[in-house]
Amino acid sequence: MFELQKVEKKFPGVHALKGIDFTIKRGEIVGLVGENGAGKSTLMKVIYGAYQHDGGQVLVDGRAVRFHNPRQAMDMGVGMVFQEQSLIPNLTVMENIFLGFEQQFVHLGVVNWKKMATAARQQLDKVKLSIDPATVTSKLSFAQRQLVELAKVLTLEERVQGDLVILLDEPTSVLAKEEIELLFSLVRDLRKRASFIFVSHRLDEVIELSDRIYVMKDGAVVDVVDGKDADVASIQHKMVGRNISKEYYREEKQKPFDAAKPLLEVDGISLAGRYNDISLKLHAGEVLCLVGVEGSGREAILRTIFGLQKPHLGQVTLKGRRVETFSAAHGVECGVGYVPRERKIEGMVGGMTVYENITLSQMRNYSNAGVLEIARERGLARDWIKKLSIKASSENVDCANLSGGNQQKVVLAKWRSGGSDIILLDHPTRGLDIGAKEDVYDMVRDMCGAGVGIILVADTLEEAIGLSHTIAVIRDGEIRKWYDCPPGGKPSLYDLIHYMT
Amino acid sequence: MLAMATRFAVPCPWEKSVENLLTRDNLQKWAPLLVLFALVLFFSIANPNFLSMRNFARISILSTPALMIGVGVTFIILMGSIDLSMEGAVAVCAVLFATMFTALGGSLAGWGWLAIPGALFVGALFGLINGLVHVGLKIPSFMASLSMGFVGIGLSLLITGGDRIRVEDPLFRSLLTYRLGGFPVMVYVALAALLIAGFIQGQTKIGRNFYAVGGGEDLAHASGLNVPRVRIIGFVIAGIFYALGAMLAVAQIGIAETVTGRNLMFVSITSVVVGGTALWGGAGGVWNTLVGVLIVNVIGNGMVVMGLPSYVQDGVLGLLVIIAVYLSTDRRSLSFVK
Amino acid sequence: MSFIKEFIEQETVNRRNLLLASAYGLGGAAALRTLGATPARATTANPTIAWSYRDRTNPYWNYIVSGGEAFVESLGKPKDALVNLINEGSSEKSLADVKALLGKEGSNLALAIDANDAPNCRPVVEAVAAAGAYVSTIWNKTDDLHPWDFGDNYVSHMTWSDEGPAEKTARILFDAMGGKGGVVHLGGIASNNPAIERLNGLKNALKDYPNVQLLDAQPADWDTQKANQIMASFLTRYGDDIKGVHCANDTIAYGVIEALRAEGIEGMPIVSYDGNQQAVELVAKGEILATVFTNPHWGGGITAALAYYAATGAFKPSAEPKEHREFYGPTILVTPKDAAEFKAKYLDSTPKYDWKDFWGPGNGQIKYK
Repeated sequence: MFELQKVEKKFPGVHALKGIDFTIKRGEIVGLVGENGAGKSTLMKVIYGAYQHDGGQVLVDGRAVRFHNPRQAMDMGVGMVFQEQSLIPNLTVMENIFLGFEQQFVHLGVVNWKKMATAARQQLDKVKLSIDPATVTSKLSFAQRQLVELAKVLTLEERVQGDLVILLDEPTSVLAKEEIELLFSLVRDLRKRASFIFVSHRLDEVIELSDRIYVMKDGAVVDVVDGKDADVASIQHKMVGRNISKEYYREEKQKPFDAAKPLLEVDGISLAGRYNDISLKLHAGEVLCLVGVEGSGREAILRTIFGLQKPHLGQVTLKGRRVETFSAAHGVECGVGYVPRERKIEGMVGGMTVYENITLSQMRNYSNAGVLEIARERGLARDWIKKLSIKASSENVDCANLSGGNQQKVVLAKWRSGGSDIILLDHPTRGLDIGAKEDVYDMVRDMCGAGVGIILVADTLEEAIGLSHTIAVIRDGEIRKWYDCPPGGKPSLYDLIHYMT
Repeated sequence: MLAMATRFAVPCPWEKSVENLLTRDNLQKWAPLLVLFALVLFFSIANPNFLSMRNFARISILSTPALMIGVGVTFIILMGSIDLSMEGAVAVCAVLFATMFTALGGSLAGWGWLAIPGALFVGALFGLINGLVHVGLKIPSFMASLSMGFVGIGLSLLITGGDRIRVEDPLFRSLLTYRLGGFPVMVYVALAALLIAGFIQGQTKIGRNFYAVGGGEDLAHASGLNVPRVRIIGFVIAGIFYALGAMLAVAQIGIAETVTGRNLMFVSITSVVVGGTALWGGAGGVWNTLVGVLIVNVIGNGMVVMGLPSYVQDGVLGLLVIIAVYLSTDRRSLSFVK
Repeated sequence: MSFIKEFIEQETVNRRNLLLASAYGLGGAAALRTLGATPARATTANPTIAWSYRDRTNPYWNYIVSGGEAFVESLGKPKDALVNLINEGSSEKSLADVKALLGKEGSNLALAIDANDAPNCRPVVEAVAAAGAYVSTIWNKTDDLHPWDFGDNYVSHMTWSDEGPAEKTARILFDAMGGKGGVVHLGGIASNNPAIERLNGLKNALKDYPNVQLLDAQPADWDTQKANQIMASFLTRYGDDIKGVHCANDTIAYGVIEALRAEGIEGMPIVSYDGNQQAVELVAKGEILATVFTNPHWGGGITAALAYYAATGAFKPSAEPKEHREFYGPTILVTPKDAAEFKAKYLDSTPKYDWKDFWGPGNGQIKYK
């Protein structure tokens, strides 16, 4: 009833979806798995109407359709239950359920709350949730909110002629074990009302729930596995697929790090709800990679090391000195540089020039009594533009006009030029094309050569394996496994995934 | 639906093509100046009297207090905040300046000159309190400064009892009456202050910090900047420029009173915005504000010179503000505007 | 003294109400006449004197009350013998206070009042008349309500018109210009009644001066800065054609004078309105040729005096002609010739008034348009 035929999606420099074929039958639960960057989220966005496909066809009951926005998709019976919940916390449950569709309860411009409450109760019954529809949403537990969200999507049933397709994006990530089981039994129950697309990193759960599983890799569907025959290991192999090119990750340039020179020691830090009892050491010239699924706590660990988040327990020691005050300013002073995932938010200031961005964290060194020495700033920027071969016509160019890869180089130049020797990289190659990625890999090797220690949260597992000296596999906020990764003795993707999921 | 809508509209970073940005940038950069020239041309054709040194001198006299206030608030707007306290700040500075000036003998030739640093200090102090209230108590800048503006108005009423204080020292008034090259001295004073503002903006650490905080506060924070301190210093600098504007307003009219700052909030913020400084912060600067102030005052002068009623003037200014904000906003980055 | 301006702005709304009310008030007037005037009760030797007005923090009302107090003192009583009824801008409170006071004093009351808005004047007057007490009103009254319809109990009504005085200042201005040349007018907020009246005064005077030309009239919103800006623009547009400036009030004149000073223009004839302290000083120096003073102190005293002496029987209101029952308040023209004298008399000290000279300073019977 819902079908994708040879669907294509391209972004400049990235071929995100390559000829995807996908079908879902009435009452079916279909799993969708793949690594980060395999194209899952792009595919979901095409399905629920946030993106428009540029090639192929989307068919509903055999008719070709094109969703220009999620509302249109909803009108055709396609609804989405978000991973980050999309309920508005200060509204009541019933207001959230009927947000945007209040008109049915309005008489002469006045909302009939009683009628809405009755209707909301009916929706909540579908998900077996017995709460007062007038409860303010923020008072609910995560699990309850998840169910309210599901109830909200199920209102489509009354509005839409035909069948429902509901996407569940990582619905279990915030749930406890017994809550997950409750959700699963509910979803099985609801099969008579709708078909489900279930997206999750937890393969065992996907296998448990799904009738069929689509495995994606590099923007294509590599296999469709029947739920009954599936096992975690084989799916993991399919997700990983190809061989890693040693050259691509500059493995030949990987030198052993200096174990006698620890730059950073983290001892038993915990932050409630984020990570638990994390201990690690970073040495000069080392690339330490934190591997784990989305939400496993990698990013929070980086933010703590930089000083943005104080841990509840444990201690951080930077170059032999214990960190007492957790602040970004202190982190910068101690030579820690942070390259966040969202370049636009925390990485570089669009609207400021290349040289202004490069000296942003070290203006003290380029000013005298508060007056900037702009000539020296520019000189520095020119040096780094050359050193990193940043493609900018001059140091006076607005950073917003640079390509993603060059923006990333500017951010790295900012930290390196300021003498930072502990660099935290969060998805440094996200959104970059292959050439730009290789530039970043080169830079990583060069930095190591210069005695810099790097903590990396990689965009893909191949990247993590290729670049790192050491890998820590994190699951649910705890380090599950350590790997040493000397050239030639690297763990396989499968080894990692085994501990990740 | 709103929450969903915001999520869906997150722009794809690859969509921006470079040419697109270039034309937009250029438009943003040069549009205010082009508008100014077009206006001058238009009014000159409508009435040739417009295009005369004497008239330019008149426009520049009227522009000076607004320019100083506009420059002050530019720094705040560059940080992505807003300051609405200028009318109160100007009232307090003007009234205290006149009071001190009179108490110290009422002449620049005597000890009266001390009132000038005195007023600048008052302005700085006012800005400091403003900044502390905003940053320290975590009150949104528009509310903190609006309230401080009321405090200022109340304070100046208390000092004057509603009366006006006259400043008639010929030496002080020579700011208006003595002319060099056709322009009164006060115009040169304002230009000197503008150059200092330009220096702060372009050549100092704090100026760079304003842009960084306005362009990306999280980023500035993540780069180790002390953002609260930057904000407070911004308000202090703005306060000093308000004091300067207050004194020039007194020099222009010869009277210090509670309503000395009246209408300056609208005029200064309009000027900043029309000059092309983005209300979201991070782009623009004091040179834009100069152009903006001139646009606003050229319209004010030109409309009367053409013989159009003043409500048409207000309408045209309102329209210009909308166009300016439209041009200076990258709407693709904003899916939902509150 | 910008309070005069503020007061007038507030008053505008009330005047508009008055016009509206008058439209359907005619029927009411006829009905009232059939009721006839109740015969005046016996007069009383020592009535309580009360002033009912808006608020004490407004300088205009302060002047009014100071006049009332001066009158009370002239009777040999202490200041606080004057009862203050403050309505805080509420007609309901105004009426309730009056009724409460009547309940206590009965016919033994002499009331001076601004009824806050025009429609409220009738119930106040009717309540006072029913109790047999005496009332004099200022400012707010509907056009169909007249003192002579209530026998002696509604003693008088006083209000002010700006058209005549503004015409006088215009004539002074035109004469100073030698009866020829261009004149510009800088007005108040365009919709304000006084602003309209003052411009009309100028236009009336123009009829007699065929060689004087009104070049332009722009609203300067009673504001010094705005006046300064508009005058500068006028200078660009009309240059030397401007031979005189007619300002709607003093604060506007200050802005005009500074705009001229900036250009080094001296001796330009300027007239203004309100009689502020600073303006009077400028008149004395000859920088302004004339301004107009409305003397709220006298207005406050004489209104109380009228009610009081009617109550004591010192005069019988119903025996007075209509121009003594409804009249315009005084306007004093201040010119360089008499400015010093005026300042000494009215601003530096408070003159002693003869509170029995009810109609001397007034400006004749109210005319309804």
